[in-house]
Amino acid sequence: MSTAAATTTLRQVLEYFEVGQGAVSLPQLARTLGIERGMLQTMLEYWVRKGKIREVNAPACTTCGTANGCPFIVVLPRQYELVRESDPDQAPACGCGGCH
Amino acid sequence: MTTAQPLTIALAGNPNVGKSTLFNALTGGRQHTGNWPGKTIEKKEGWMTLDGQEVMIVDLPGTYSLAAYSVEEIVTRDYLLRDHPSTVIAVADAANLERNLYLVCQLIELGASLIVALNMSDTAQSRGLSIDARKLSDALGGIPVIEMVGTRGIGIEALQKAILQRSPAKSPLVFDYGENIEHEISALQTSIEADPALAAAYPVRWLAIKLLENDSYLNEQLADHAPLLSAAQNAITRITETLGDDPETLLTDKRYTFIGEAAAKSITRAAGNGETASDRADRIITHRILGLPIFLALMWLVFQITANVSAPLIDWVDGLFAGPVSRWVAGLLGMIGLGGSWVESLMVDGVIAGVGGVLVFVPLLMVLYVTISILEDSGYMARAAFVMDRVMRIIGLHGKSFLPLLIGFGCTVPAIYATRTLEHPRDRKLTAFLATFMSCGARLPVYVVFAGVFFGAQSGNVIFALYLLGIFVALITGLVFKRVIYPNKETQSFVMELPPYRVPDPRSILSQMWERTRGFVQNAATIILACSVIVWLLSAMPANFDLSRFNDVEPQESTFGALSGAIAPVLAPAGFGDWQAAGSLITGFIAKEVVIGTMSQIYGVEPVEAVDVPTPSLIDDAGEIVTTFGQAFVLTAQEFVNIVPRTVNIIPGVHMAEANFLGIEAEEEDTTGLSLALTGAFTPLSALAFMVFILLYTPCMTSTAAMRHEFGGRWTLYQIGYTTVIAWAAAVIVYQSGLLLGLGG
Repeated sequence: MSTAAATTTLRQVLEYFEVGQGAVSLPQLARTLGIERGMLQTMLEYWVRKGKIREVNAPACTTCGTANGCPFIVVLPRQYELVRESDPDQAPACGCGGCH
Repeated sequence: MTTAQPLTIALAGNPNVGKSTLFNALTGGRQHTGNWPGKTIEKKEGWMTLDGQEVMIVDLPGTYSLAAYSVEEIVTRDYLLRDHPSTVIAVADAANLERNLYLVCQLIELGASLIVALNMSDTAQSRGLSIDARKLSDALGGIPVIEMVGTRGIGIEALQKAILQRSPAKSPLVFDYGENIEHEISALQTSIEADPALAAAYPVRWLAIKLLENDSYLNEQLADHAPLLSAAQNAITRITETLGDDPETLLTDKRYTFIGEAAAKSITRAAGNGETASDRADRIITHRILGLPIFLALMWLVFQITANVSAPLIDWVDGLFAGPVSRWVAGLLGMIGLGGSWVESLMVDGVIAGVGGVLVFVPLLMVLYVTISILEDSGYMARAAFVMDRVMRIIGLHGKSFLPLLIGFGCTVPAIYATRTLEHPRDRKLTAFLATFMSCGARLPVYVVFAGVFFGAQSGNVIFALYLLGIFVALITGLVFKRVIYPNKETQSFVMELPPYRVPDPRSILSQMWERTRGFVQNAATIILACSVIVWLLSAMPANFDLSRFNDVEPQESTFGALSGAIAPVLAPAGFGDWQAAGSLITGFIAKEVVIGTMSQIYGVEPVEAVDVPTPSLIDDAGEIVTTFGQAFVLTAQEFVNIVPRTVNIIPGVHMAEANFLGIEAEEEDTTGLSLALTGAFTPLSALAFMVFILLYTPCMTSTAAMRHEFGGRWTLYQIGYTTVIAWAAAVIVYQSGLLLGLGG
């Protein structure tokens, strides 16, 4: 059997991120790729483990003592996005927001 | 059937599939809890008697795979490899079968003696999924598949029977990974079999597959088998070169293909292809075209409710501060000999007018926070973010910038910090810049006062239009910046989980409303109080610092009046060139909530009462407070009910009668002290221009500090300059255009 790259379902999932088509919901992507939703989720987790995509966490605000408990923070569901080799890391631990 | 060997049953499965429920159902109270050796993960063991035989049950940690990326996976895998349980019960969530089958595939590959417990079968059925257990068993090589509802004890007996039968011992299923990979697996198997100790310690084919997957945990454990590891690495290189992808991905994908085929054979989906009610709703709510109008309609409704429903309670709190509270404070000060002194002026004209003027809007914010919390708790807010994201991408904004912008409607400070979710500093800077145009909650009281005084029944629409204007200016700014400063920025994709819609939990909503309102009140007790005292001091101090005239100076001759007066001419083209408006904008830089408080102080607002009415007693006041609160409460309910007719009445030619619970005719105009002062100082057109300025001008001091903290002083100065210029230009355009159109009156 000869399996060419980019024809596997797993590759198609990653390609969605690489092509850059904007935001999509999990059910929408599952429909587009013809994959069951739960299986798509495990595929996303596979690519997370491989370091190709990452989960985006809720933002943290350090301006006052409430930190992540800030009542103005809108908690949104889990999101996944592509990790680009050229991407700098998320904001550094010092909280300075990176070099200006 | 009984056997001489003691039976050990391991429960494996994904997290949250009802494994613990099944464990409890099988073992009853005969359990022991400890930790896995060397790990902090809980280990649960229990015992049951089956057909006179003692059976030990081990509850393994919840895991999605046996890939050894997490501690749970390592614990599960090590236990299965070293302890060789008699049978492994793979507990699977029938409603998410495909996802759960991945672990089952890996257990088959590991050579475990398997029974699949198809738990939550009732949930699967309710979602329109019909699973044929026999066909699934056939697809999995004949291993028993038992349908269960663990919470109701359904299927427990069948499971116990299957455990006793212990047949078939192992699935004969062998996944075919294709010629190239199978060739490499075979070669590695030969190498492993050459080492009897290794072949005895691991299932040979499984080990060969794991080596091809470059399993780091196994590579570590087999560090002293260098030739084998080297052969595996060479095989990985060959497969990658030949097939264009790494073996782990190819092997994993092959398992997914198998799962898809097994599911297709055994699952029948009802009409709608297993779509939930939430999915069907999302087809409309997050629709490419319909999504935005639905979002705007809901936001319009939020502001209608906020502006109208809270109005009676705002009036009640306003009356409370202007009447009884002011009287009581003045009375108390009089009792200790400070009546008529500067202390009374400070308390009544400074603290009560300033802080009270802001606290009046607590009911407004409570209503706003309740409506926003309902949207959040119902699951709509995630959809709103999703819909808005699409819109922003169309005009060139970064796809993920929606989150900080959305947060900006609550408060600009966390919005600025929320930009940390963006990777590139330039995206963070731009998004934080735009977040300042999202109208924060602190600006809302200004809109409510002005829109209420000058636009009456249309106030909800005016406020809604202001929010839209903020979004519009942010989008245009973003577009310009993207074209001019950040051209050729590619769009990034992301996938978002959308939680199912649900009926909002009243306790959660009240809790969120309380937390948010408390933040506002705390601000009133600190920054606004300090501001009120400073404004009073500057208003009491003559511009020439003649202390003999302290607290005895005409407002425009005070230090505050002189400072404000110096700025006022700049604002004259926008229609609000008096020193009071300029002064309130100055304090608005400290906190937007202060604007109304300052206006209450410097417009010389006096309690609106008939002069010849005798001062009411404390008991009269208390009675009045209770009575008026009751009325305000009923009127609030009335306003809520009237949302329907007011919405329906928008349709031309339709008139639906509004409720009038107390038989009180609507007031023609607002007669509170500040309202009267504003009608003298502003026209509807200049009021609109003022609101536009408030919407767009530089955010508060705390936000500016957050901006400087995150992006440095230069970017903060750009932001202050840009927002001020945009605000001035927009206000001037609104006012001058209105004049040209003859709307100046």
